[in-house]
Amino acid sequence: MRRSRIPFYLLVGMLVFLYLPLIIVIVNSFNMSRYGGQWGGFTLKWYSRLFSDRTIWYALGNSLLIALTSTVTSMVLGTTAAIALYRFKTRLQSAHRLFIHLPLVMPDILVGISLLLFFVALKVRLGLFTIYLAHVTFCISYVAMVVLGRLQDFNYAVIEAAMDLGASWPAAIRKVMIPMITPGIMAGGLLAFTLSIDDFVITFFVSGPGSATLPLYIYSMIRHGSPMVINALTGIFIVFTFTVVTISKKLLEEK
Amino acid sequence: MMKRILSILAIMTAVASISCSRQKELHVFIWADYMNNDVITAFEKNENCRVVMDFFDSNEALYAKVKAGATGYDLYICSSYMVNIMNDQKMLQSIDLWKLKNIGNIDPEYLKISLDPAMSHSVPYMMSFAGIAYNTEKVKNFVPTWGMLDRSDLKGRITLLNDLRETIGAALKFNGCNYNSLNPAELDKARQTVLRWKKNIAKFDVDEAKRGLEAGEFFLIHTYNGDALQIISQNPKIAFAVPREGTSISVDDMVIPTSAVNADLAYRFIDHLLDPEVCSKNMEYISYLAPNLAAQKIMPKDFMQNPAVLPSKEILKKSDILKDLGADNATYSKIWDEIKSAE
Repeated sequence: MRRSRIPFYLLVGMLVFLYLPLIIVIVNSFNMSRYGGQWGGFTLKWYSRLFSDRTIWYALGNSLLIALTSTVTSMVLGTTAAIALYRFKTRLQSAHRLFIHLPLVMPDILVGISLLLFFVALKVRLGLFTIYLAHVTFCISYVAMVVLGRLQDFNYAVIEAAMDLGASWPAAIRKVMIPMITPGIMAGGLLAFTLSIDDFVITFFVSGPGSATLPLYIYSMIRHGSPMVINALTGIFIVFTFTVVTISKKLLEEK
Repeated sequence: MMKRILSILAIMTAVASISCSRQKELHVFIWADYMNNDVITAFEKNENCRVVMDFFDSNEALYAKVKAGATGYDLYICSSYMVNIMNDQKMLQSIDLWKLKNIGNIDPEYLKISLDPAMSHSVPYMMSFAGIAYNTEKVKNFVPTWGMLDRSDLKGRITLLNDLRETIGAALKFNGCNYNSLNPAELDKARQTVLRWKKNIAKFDVDEAKRGLEAGEFFLIHTYNGDALQIISQNPKIAFAVPREGTSISVDDMVIPTSAVNADLAYRFIDHLLDPEVCSKNMEYISYLAPNLAAQKIMPKDFMQNPAVLPSKEILKKSDILKDLGADNATYSKIWDEIKSAE
């Protein structure tokens, strides 16, 4: 029997759908024409404008700082929440489960405005710190959900075995459970990082003077800026990401 | 793990507090990429301070945020109609014109049509206007009038702005009325005009039209002058004209919120931006016109004689600044819905 070709066509279609936009962005970042409607000749001017624009780099720094710190924090808190939800089935925990789900279903604009009103009422100075708090708020939920999914397949007998062999409960969690669910925690962390680094709506409301992040800057450029500079930045990002992924894969293979 | 987070947080706060205590800071809330960086650096050097820019993506977002109580900004640069709303809500300081030694540079002709002619709470920064960009090779016998939208030889090659105030306003102006008209008879006539235009045009659009004009798909589009200038720099076959009946003008104003911490520094920054040299550098960078006579004098001739930069005095007099109509916005929305849903 001949193998069907449909899966192959599907694969090609999916690859084109996923990667063609990225290729267009990279090609356009070398396009002289500002609108990218026509090929206006090869140029590096968008890259030189990108490197001379101090605000973009400042905003990128803010974005990375917030994404890293809020990811680490929400990985810790989210994992703790997931373990609690997994281990204890009290009524208090069902309330806890509701709180973890809420940020996932609440519209961003509501979260943004209510956090802003909350911070203003408490007289907290708006800035990187308030953005960090807001991002942790929604990242915890995502990390907790992913880790909880991982825990569904977790065999609790392993913990019981560890405790039979003399481990205390905290030690069993630390030495047995955590290492086993690490991939889940990592996946949750990556998800949190991507959500944090491109969040716009919530960030806009809770940001303060001097804490513009990259998405805020990019959205605001719609009116007066040149989108081609952003294409250039995207190009650098894509190349950077692919390099990092390739290198880390190579390193893992050598092990 | 927790220790590491705490230490990161401690470093963050420390960095933030060091940068605060060292120098005075001016916090500006503005559109992105709307000011020449050299201008900012020069001000920082003169005043030994730091200018920190923050950005919003729409006037409405700015309003929602500051109305909810966000503070810490010393200067907003946003559109006139929003300035009007914020002033009604008592969110702005009144401007003490004596503190601005360059204030005399502002064009008195412009002030006649301004929403704040006495500059009691705002100082104009840059202005832009709508008009018609067209392909000089494809459009024969071009006449600068809104009547071009009726030309049957361009059928299907025209676009109108997908913006209710701009497009209904253009029809109002074509019929000799004001862009902010609330007269039902005038509005009904304008509705019929737009419906007639609708049969002749390809679509209502903002961004795709620019690409289409550059690529030769559309021959004549209703667009803003800043966008037209950018298309012209790509494709010299394109030209821009302001219809002789007049057009809409939008202005971005500089205003000081009541919550400003460094109002004095904000005054000095406004004065710096009104300086002819500085203002002309900004105009060159963003290709918009500032209503600043002294700066206009030292701009290169080809910049000032470009109709996409400066409409003639006669046209300027006939043009209107779009006002926020408050509850009456619904009247326009209703007409716009009728236009959009008509066959």
